[in-house]
Formats: sequence, structure tokens, C-alpha cells
Amino acid sequence: MIRRTLAITRKEIIHIIRDPRTLTIMFLMPVIQLILFGYTATTDVEHLATAVLDQDHSSQSRELVDAYRASNYFDILYYVRSEEELGRLIDEGQAKAGMIIPAGYSRSLTSENQASIAFVIDGSMPSVATTAFGASQTVAQAQSIKVIQKVYGIDVEQQPGIDVHPRVWYNPDMKSANFMIPGLIAMILQMQSTIFTALSIVREKEEGTIEQLIVTPLRSIELIVGKVIPYVGISLFNLAEVLVVGVLWFGVPINGNILLLLALALLALSVSLGIGLLNSTIASTQQEAMFLTMFLMLPFIFLSGFFFPLEAMPQVLQWISYVIPLRYMLVITRGIILKGVGLNILWDQAVALILFGIVMLVLATSRFKKRL
Amino acid sequence: MNSRLVYVIHKEWIHIIRDPRTLVVIFLMPVMQLILLGYAVATDVEHLPAAVLDQDLTPQSRDLIEAYRASNYFDITRYVSSEEELGRLIDRGSFRAGLIIPTGYGHNLEKNHKAQVSFVIDGSDPTVATTAFSAAQTIAQAQSLELTQEIMGLDPENLPGVAVHPRVWYNPDMKSVNFMIPGLIGLILQFLTSLFTSMSIVREREQGTIEQLIVTPISPLELILGKVAPYVGIAFFNLAEILVIGVVWFGVPIHGSVTLLLALSVLFLLTTLGIGILISTIARSQQEAMFVAFFITTPSIFLSGFFFPLEAMPQVLQLISYVIPLRYMLIIIRGIVLKGVGLRILAGEVLAIAVFGVFIFSIAARRFRKRLE
Repeated sequence: MIRRTLAITRKEIIHIIRDPRTLTIMFLMPVIQLILFGYTATTDVEHLATAVLDQDHSSQSRELVDAYRASNYFDILYYVRSEEELGRLIDEGQAKAGMIIPAGYSRSLTSENQASIAFVIDGSMPSVATTAFGASQTVAQAQSIKVIQKVYGIDVEQQPGIDVHPRVWYNPDMKSANFMIPGLIAMILQMQSTIFTALSIVREKEEGTIEQLIVTPLRSIELIVGKVIPYVGISLFNLAEVLVVGVLWFGVPINGNILLLLALALLALSVSLGIGLLNSTIASTQQEAMFLTMFLMLPFIFLSGFFFPLEAMPQVLQWISYVIPLRYMLVITRGIILKGVGLNILWDQAVALILFGIVMLVLATSRFKKRL
Repeated sequence: MNSRLVYVIHKEWIHIIRDPRTLVVIFLMPVMQLILLGYAVATDVEHLPAAVLDQDLTPQSRDLIEAYRASNYFDITRYVSSEEELGRLIDRGSFRAGLIIPTGYGHNLEKNHKAQVSFVIDGSDPTVATTAFSAAQTIAQAQSLELTQEIMGLDPENLPGVAVHPRVWYNPDMKSVNFMIPGLIGLILQFLTSLFTSMSIVREREQGTIEQLIVTPISPLELILGKVAPYVGIAFFNLAEILVIGVVWFGVPIHGSVTLLLALSVLFLLTTLGIGILISTIARSQQEAMFVAFFITTPSIFLSGFFFPLEAMPQVLQLISYVIPLRYMLIIIRGIVLKGVGLRILAGEVLAIAVFGVFIFSIAARRFRKRLE
């Protein structure tokens, strides 16, 4: 049995090696994704291009502009003379925010009143806009406290109050690479093996060579295992690739046990291979197999918490997320790499994966046998 | 020329109709993307599950907990009795934040001292963590200010200070769907047309039918135009699909001119069809064509500003983004749909799209002709 399985594995490896272009893409894709996700997936915008319309021209208004400049959130790049000019800069996208200090600002500030300013924010990108919105308020609040201190001669340091000491766990610098790279590992385990398993079997179907395999003494389980082994190898190689680049280049700390990660990765792979096999029993051409995978990939990526937090989604989508295996893999890879937790905490996720694996593999092999 | 062109279009159309599964995928895909991008892309984190370890148990500590609860940012659903328990809950991931109020908190406040509290945040997801971080501080700041006012006997209504009146333009509710839907139009235009153009050409080559086409009096230009025309039609159908669902279901307002949007989409197709034809001259099999199309699409999604703001990226990637045509198209579509701006403001981007289109399409056409000869 082992001999026959290995023969199939050898045949599959020859197929893979004969197509060096696809092989290159297989190995390059994770690196490109790593660079893209590691560097681009960040919404913490600092140095937002900002235009200022100062109609007050006082030392107080200059002080306020300086406070905004010093906050790191806003780069004061333009001083404009009219609201129209400000509007045009934001319309063109040259400036993402605009501050309007009306004439009389300094006067109302000294007369124990609230001095009002307007803060225009380009809301088209909500993640940027929310940050800018919050920052504009925080800066003004700090400025107000300074004004109160001056007017009443109070030293805030001596005042009672609440000091919050935030402790950010697991990812103290809040670097997005630390968040994306464990996720990427889970995604590679999920996507790559699914697509390549499906394609390799459908290819035999499409080219009619599957009949030749059926007339050999090969059993269907040997055929499946033999065909799948090389792709398990490639997936594990890619996992190592992402881990090494992640640790050496991006400085992602691995806080947990790598052996546990590998063991659970094999579990995750069994789920993906099951999905791939199932896909191959549905699709009759390689094109169909690819479309099916693409069709699955979208909900997988968005409803697993890969990019966006599940908690922020509508309840219905949160329920759907429970039937998406990538969700559990993400909790596991992030748990081990970032949080350094072990099986005592991740056991329920592992059980979910085992259940998925069993259901998928049983379903796939029984359908596969029928098709043969 | 016209009748020959019509024959090629007709032939391609038959190919498309004969594969109803792919056709269904083509039409369902945008709907699914709309639903996912419309509902699942939410970065505004509210109601973060939070646990509290109150070691003080005074009216003051309860006041602080109430202030956090009232903020909408944190859902305080669990009271724990030890730091270990808090740690386990956050390790497990069922809670994202924890407030620790040490003994003596109320006492310190009564004696007009500074009182310390700790706020634990699960930092693994930086987007969530940054929001939680600043929310935790803002709430405490507001609480402190209230205390100061109480002690000093100041009337908060009559304090001097700076009041900011934010005006959020273009997307006043900061809804992410308003941002994603215009982007989706650009992405689908690019992905569908380049993928299907390349695959339909490569399929003829893979099956050897391209030789039969060459011996007919059909010219290479007619062949290309005829093969891409049905996919242009499908792309525009999808564009309309997204616009209609976006406006009717998600309530996305279209501030600018739809005619201008359509005209500039046609201009953009020059680029995307060019990319598709280029892929077809490189790939030898449909599988290869798909991989290459993916290989090109992934960077263009991330370096065009589709999901994440370009400004937050490292300088090198920002420079690379200038050679990504989708970058300009996204500015155009978002400009027209969200900002309601016209050609006068978008002139630079339109010029860039035109240059890319002419450049890529002419290279593609030349390579295509060479491969035929």
C-alpha cells in the first residue's frame, strides 16, 4: 500500500516540477502577500495632510495650529485664504482635513467663553476619518485644559484625577505585521492546499487520465493520499517560509510552542484537503475548480476575522462565521504566535477543526469513491 | 469588417452561454462581494467585550465603571476577582479589554490625590487596540475633568476652552459601505475583464482552435475586438448591478455624473483589456492565465488604496502605487460617486488612465499580432 501511494506521490511531484512557472508562483506568492500585508494593512494614519484657514491671525490661533501640528496626527501643509480654497484642496484630495479658525477666536477665548473652530474632515475613507475625528477633539480638549490652567492659575498636575496606565498585551507596539503574519499562515494553510488538491485531481479528470489510474490496482484512498502528499509538503514549506521571513525581517515574536503550531497546522491542512477534494468531485474542469475556490475564498477571508474584527459585524454574519474553518485556524495561529497560549486554552478551537476535518474528509472520500 | 466582427462576437457569446455555471459565478460574484464588503468591513469598533477587576468596591470605583459602560466603546459583561482570571479571559479571546481598579482608588480621590487604574488591552489586532487605547484614556480624562470641576466649584457651561465643530464631508456618517462600493466598481472592472479576456484567448490556443481562426479572413484586430466585446458587456452589466444594489439597498449616494463615470470606465477598460491580452501572450494554459491574473490583482488591490489608506504605507510602496492604474481609477470613481467632483478636478487622474491605456493596449496588441504570425 505504501509503495503504491508513494508511486502516485512521485508521479504528482513530476507533474509539479514540469510546470516551473506555477511552482515559482506557489513559492513567491506567500512572500509577496507577506510584504503586502505586513506593510500596507495599516489604518493608523498619522501626518494627515491638513490645510488651515486662520481668519483670526492672533498668537492664540497660532498656538492652536501648533498644538495640532505637534500632535503628529496632522501635517499642516497649506495655509489658505478662503473656504473655497480649502474646499478645493479637499475636493482634489490634496488635503484630507481642514481647520477653520474664525475671526474673533482669541477674543472669545479670553472672555471666559468657548471659542469655536470648525474642523473639516474628508469622510470618504471612514477608518481615516474616525481617527482624524477623534484626534481633532483630543487636541482641542488638551488645549482647553491649558487655557483653564492659565485663566484660573491651577496646576493640573496637583489636581485629583484618574491616571490610566494602559497595558497593551501580546503586541505592545500595536504593529499590524504582528497581526497579519499569523493570519497569513492560517490563510496559506487554507487556500493553497485547497486549490492545488482540487486542480491536481480535476486535471486528471479533464485529460481523461483518471480512467487509466482506475484500472490499476490502486485503491481510491491510496490515490488521494498519494496525490495530496506533495501539496502538504509545499504548504508546510510555505508555512516555514512565512515564519522565517516574519521573524527575521518583520521581527514578529513567536511567543508559543512551534511544535504545537505545526501539529495544529497538520490538522488545519486536513480540513483544507477535504475541501479541495470535495471541490474536485463537483468541478469537471480546472476552470470550474478555480472559480469554485475563488467563490469560497471571499467569505472565508472576510468572515473569518482575517482583516476585520468579527465583533464589529452584524449578528447574522457572526453566526455564519462559525461554519468557516479559517476562523478557528486564525484563533489558533494568533493564539500560539502572539499570545503564546497552549492547548489548555485552544482546545475548543482544535476540536472544531477536528470535527470539520472528519466531516470534510468523510464527505469528500465517499463522494470521490462514487465518482470513480 | 463589421459582419466579421459580429461573427467573432457571436462565437464568443455562444462559448459563454454554454458554460452556465461560470456565467452564474460571474453575475453572483459582485453581489456576494457587495454583501461582504458592505457588512463585514467594519473597522469602527464599539461594544468591545470588557471585564472588570474592582478591588476597591467604593462608590467612586463604581462611578468609573459606569463611565466606561456608558461610553459605548466597552461592553462590561463580566466582573472577575483576580488578575489571573482576567488574564485567562483575555488569553482565551472572549474579552478584549480589562479594567483593573486597585484598592485605595476611592480613598485617593477623596483625599484629592491622583488615583491610578490599569487598563489591559488585547493588542493583537492593532485596529481594535488603537481605538480601545484612546477610548480608555479619553473616558478617564473626561471623568477627571468632572472631578476637578466639582472640587473647584466651576460651572462647566461657563469654562473657557476650545470647542471643535467637526464637519465630515462626502460621507458624513462615515459608513464604510460608501467607501467600499465605489472601490468595488474599479476592482471588478479590472479583475473581470483582464481575467476573462486572457482566458478566452488562451483557451483557443490551448485547444488549437486559434489556427483555424488565423486562416480565416479575420484580421487580428477584429479577432481581439470580437473576443473582448462580450466581456466588456458583462463588465458593464456588473457595474450597473453594483451601482443599483449600492444605491437601492445600501443607500450609497451618487453625488456626481453617472455619464462621466461610464465614460471614464470605458477609458479604463483600455488598460484592463490590454492587461488581459498581455497575460494571454504570456500564459500557455488557462491555469497559468488565472495564476498570472491573480498575481497581478493582489498587489493592485493593496497598493491602490482599495482597503487601506496609501498615506499610511512606507514611502517605497507609495512610490510603487503610482504605476498601478487602479490607483487612479479609484480616485476617479470615489471622486465622482462620493465627492461629486468633475473632470476639472480629476484631470490629472484621467490623463494618467489615458496614458496607461494607450501604452498597455498598444504593447499588448503588438505582442498579440507577433504571436499570431
